[in-house]
Amino acid sequence: MKLRANLIIGGALFALAILVGLLAPWLAHTDPVLDANLMNAEEPPSWTWWFGTDDQGRDIYSRVVYGARVSLTVGIVSQLINSVIGVALGLSAGYWGGWWDDFVNGLTNLMLAIPSLIFALAIMAVLGPGLTSLLIALGLTNWSFTCRIARASALSLRSQGYVQAATVLGYGDLRIMITQLLPNMLGPIVVIGTLGMGSAVLSEAALSFLGLGVRPPFPSWGSMLSDAREQITTAPWLSVFPGLAIFLTVLGLNLLGDGLRDILDPQSRSRRT
Amino acid sequence: MIKSLIGMPALLGEHMMFRMIAIVAGLGLALAAPAETQAPRKGGTIRMTAPYGSSFTSLDIHTTQRAQDEIYAKALHRSLYIWNSAEGKPVLELAKEDVVSGGGLVHTFKLRDDAYFHNGRKMTADDVIWSYNRIMDGTKAYPGARFVRVIEGAAAVEKGQAKEISGLKKIDDFTVEMKLTEKVDPGFYFFTALTSIYPADEAAKESFIQKPIGLGPFKFVEHVPGSRIVLERWDRFYKPGKPYADKVIVSIMGEAAARDVAFRNKEIDTSVLGPAQYVAYQSDADLKGTIVEVAEVFTRYMGMNPSFKPFTDKRVRQAINYAIDTDLIINKLVKGKAYRATSWLPLTSPAYDKAMKPYPYDPAKAKQLLSEAGYPSGFEFEWTTSQNESWGLPIVSAVIPMLDKVGIKAKVKQVETAVLAEVVRSGDYQAFIYSQATGPDPQAALKCFHSSTPQPACNYMNYKNADFDKLIDAAGQADDAAKRTELLQKANALLYEEAPVWFFNYNKAVMAVQPWLKGVQLNATELTHQNVEDLWVDETSPAK
Amino acid sequence: MLSFLLRRLLQTIPTVLAVVLLVFVLFSVVPGSIVSSMSDDSDPQVELRMKKQLGLDDPLYLRFGVYIAKLVTGDFGTSFRTREPVTTMIAKRAWPTLQLIFTAMTFAILIGVPLGFIAALKPGGIVDTLAMVLAVSGLSIAKFWLGLVLMYLFALKLGWLPSFGYGDGGLKYLLLPAVTLGVSPMALFARTTRAAVLEIMTADFVRTARSKGMSETRVVKWHVMRNALVIILTTVGLQFGGLMGQAVVVEKLFSWPGIGSLLVDSVLQRDIPAVQGSILVVVLAFLAINLLIDVLYGVIDPRIRYA
Repeated sequence: MKLRANLIIGGALFALAILVGLLAPWLAHTDPVLDANLMNAEEPPSWTWWFGTDDQGRDIYSRVVYGARVSLTVGIVSQLINSVIGVALGLSAGYWGGWWDDFVNGLTNLMLAIPSLIFALAIMAVLGPGLTSLLIALGLTNWSFTCRIARASALSLRSQGYVQAATVLGYGDLRIMITQLLPNMLGPIVVIGTLGMGSAVLSEAALSFLGLGVRPPFPSWGSMLSDAREQITTAPWLSVFPGLAIFLTVLGLNLLGDGLRDILDPQSRSRRT
Repeated sequence: MIKSLIGMPALLGEHMMFRMIAIVAGLGLALAAPAETQAPRKGGTIRMTAPYGSSFTSLDIHTTQRAQDEIYAKALHRSLYIWNSAEGKPVLELAKEDVVSGGGLVHTFKLRDDAYFHNGRKMTADDVIWSYNRIMDGTKAYPGARFVRVIEGAAAVEKGQAKEISGLKKIDDFTVEMKLTEKVDPGFYFFTALTSIYPADEAAKESFIQKPIGLGPFKFVEHVPGSRIVLERWDRFYKPGKPYADKVIVSIMGEAAARDVAFRNKEIDTSVLGPAQYVAYQSDADLKGTIVEVAEVFTRYMGMNPSFKPFTDKRVRQAINYAIDTDLIINKLVKGKAYRATSWLPLTSPAYDKAMKPYPYDPAKAKQLLSEAGYPSGFEFEWTTSQNESWGLPIVSAVIPMLDKVGIKAKVKQVETAVLAEVVRSGDYQAFIYSQATGPDPQAALKCFHSSTPQPACNYMNYKNADFDKLIDAAGQADDAAKRTELLQKANALLYEEAPVWFFNYNKAVMAVQPWLKGVQLNATELTHQNVEDLWVDETSPAK
Repeated sequence: MLSFLLRRLLQTIPTVLAVVLLVFVLFSVVPGSIVSSMSDDSDPQVELRMKKQLGLDDPLYLRFGVYIAKLVTGDFGTSFRTREPVTTMIAKRAWPTLQLIFTAMTFAILIGVPLGFIAALKPGGIVDTLAMVLAVSGLSIAKFWLGLVLMYLFALKLGWLPSFGYGDGGLKYLLLPAVTLGVSPMALFARTTRAAVLEIMTADFVRTARSKGMSETRVVKWHVMRNALVIILTTVGLQFGGLMGQAVVVEKLFSWPGIGSLLVDSVLQRDIPAVQGSILVVVLAFLAINLLIDVLYGVIDPRIRYA
């Protein structure tokens, strides 16, 4: 019973966020950057301004809608980078073993030991604020779990009959890894990836708070929320809507991740993430 | 300097009450009206905040010139001069008189003989000489060197060519002779905490940086790094009857939203307000009365790189000034927490020309000027900015659509404040937005545009103009103050016409002060820098 | 056991060296410097001298060599900003951060574990659903936002707690930042405890114990509790890193004088020795805690061997 609820609610929330991002130009009432009119600054929500306006006189509804693009890009792309790095390193380390395995293990331990937000903060300081920097910073700092899982599955799959058979048939290492090993570890990796997207969206907000987020004027939910924090009593709508957008999207991703875990990875429900 | 505000009530915002404050301040009286009748109360705790970041830089105040650090230094340390907010200029503090001779270059200071360091030792001429020599230690790079360098022979010490500053002489224990290299008012050079007088014997010790000793009205008790500095009354302070309070706590609170909660919750006595909170406090009946404001000597502007093709043309630079609806930005976005800039020198500058009018908002004129300059369809430039709420990204975001209307496309390049400072110095920009100190000394402020001033010093636009140089040089030679002011006004007017920058605003510093804290001074150099010995709290303060 | 400890300690050396090198390389290419971050007023002569004095002009390998040589003797260098030894700076900040993390963890365990237990007793029931919705929500909220809301609620509206600062370091001051920080691990504890309890209740050895006639409470007490402890330990170990990261945000928001706020300040002002030192201390703490946890596993469950 519960599994389905997870999956359905989570999937629906995430799909909604993606849809909003894709359809942003049609859903938005105004341009999120250029349609700033200081004469309309800080209007509370109304029929004209569904979510109110910000201190620049921009329509918050339109900015939240466009913000979906930036925030989801951060979540999806940075997690994709993490997954690719994690799978590539973990899979090859588990399959080949030897010095490469030791090296990857050392690297993973290093990544685990430096808190990812702190690492991302340092990378952002080097690259400067901006979307690309953010994708790199968050994409390079959160792959250690994926790597560990991939390595562990590769280790256990390596000795399985069908993999041995493929070796005998003369398949190359790369081909074996991609066609034989990868499909068998996809479940847990998708689960980790889904949860990782949620934490990337939150990390973007945290980095915005620390002054190293996406480069405006293009809105991200995190930067909108962070910019609005001083007006939490005087103009609460400035923070309520981007805050809600973050909350619902991350909630959706977490529920989706849980639901997927129940389906794809049933034997490891107790796996600690 | 603040007196000049009286003539311009229109500039002081919409609320009558603030006008009153400014006028009262202009008359050189204490801020809170009841303070005049009420006798200052002895005792109590003053709880100030340090709002610029989440730590103090160092307990060795000679090493840091951040505004944040001078907040506590005002209680702990003293310099030869001190800023007098009522008079709007530096006045003698550790000396009783200054006799000028030698064609205005030699100053003989008669020092106080009743100033005691917090270890109980009396300050003498040796401490003054030792402190200035320390600041010139070339191997240490103390930022105060740029002030002490005005003393003859100081530069030689800095370069390691001499052991002691030749222009400083001890006449007797309480008399110091100082020979300057230029005819300037030493007050502007020796009033900040960067040139604090240290106890010669103690400051050389390793332990000094953990437990600093000064001459100020309060002595050091503890520093919890990242949290607060606590100081307690120094009973042998040289001003009779002062300080009033028993204790001063300076809490570090960089996060404005948190500061707002703490102030409303009566946990702190002072808070610095940004534009958003300025409006919120004005519209709140309970908080309205806590607002204190002053025109600070900072000018906010967009600097344009003269080697970037379009900006070489004066008409383009003027067009930008016409194209931006500066008043609208100040009123709506900055929420009236700024004074419209006309030219470079701020309102509180003695050389400010009240007759001058700012560039009006006139997009048609801007378009016309752009066409004349050969850019009928505009051009594109990159604008480097920090995310500062008063002179950074939000302002840039509001200007972009305005420039867009006259065909100019601006691309934002956001960097951190530390990076922006470097960008500005290296000239590696097409345009940038910045806040620069433009006082208290108008001559020093304008000298930034002199062609002999190197770009990394403060000539950030690498400005060169022979007519301007002539005016500034003449002002430097002038013996008569009125003549000098006139020349400086002309130079300021020339900058207006040349428009090397978009003149945005002069900062209006706004602090919220709890009703029980009295004696707050309207310091135009930095509102948070309070002479703590003049502050006192009445019995309604919730602090013990 | 001893050889296990020794081997683990030796294993940390390359990690520590790699961290030092990584931060070194990152901050050798970082734009901006301590010199430009100190003030907007500038004096080129002093700035040049400052760069020279701080060794910012020296080649990277030289700086790295000098740093490592000093590090071996326990010297973390001198802060660019405060000009005091980095070890002194960190020592002053370590206790508040430890207090914060310990309190946050305690809060997370005290709320999260019982929540997970109760939820697992009737899987799919109302309590379970509510508990899990709460847990997922805790994971899905931006921490600085949560902190602000708590601050408004408990300091301003209710007046129960001070809104900021370290005060005397007492619980009164700790509570709000610790709860803000503890919400994520609390949610994780609830989820992992629930999952583990569910799994264990159906596991073979519990069924065996039951069939041997052990009463339900004894089953729960012996097997479930012991396995739950292992889970808590594992989660603590894994969460420590994330918690340190979040502490950066929470400390900044609440003006809490810990290592996290030192780190942000040092990064923003390019105080490289302080950045280097604080990251190193965080990493060392992480390694130490995980080593301690590995040792504790054996104490709780003798079946776990040190391989």
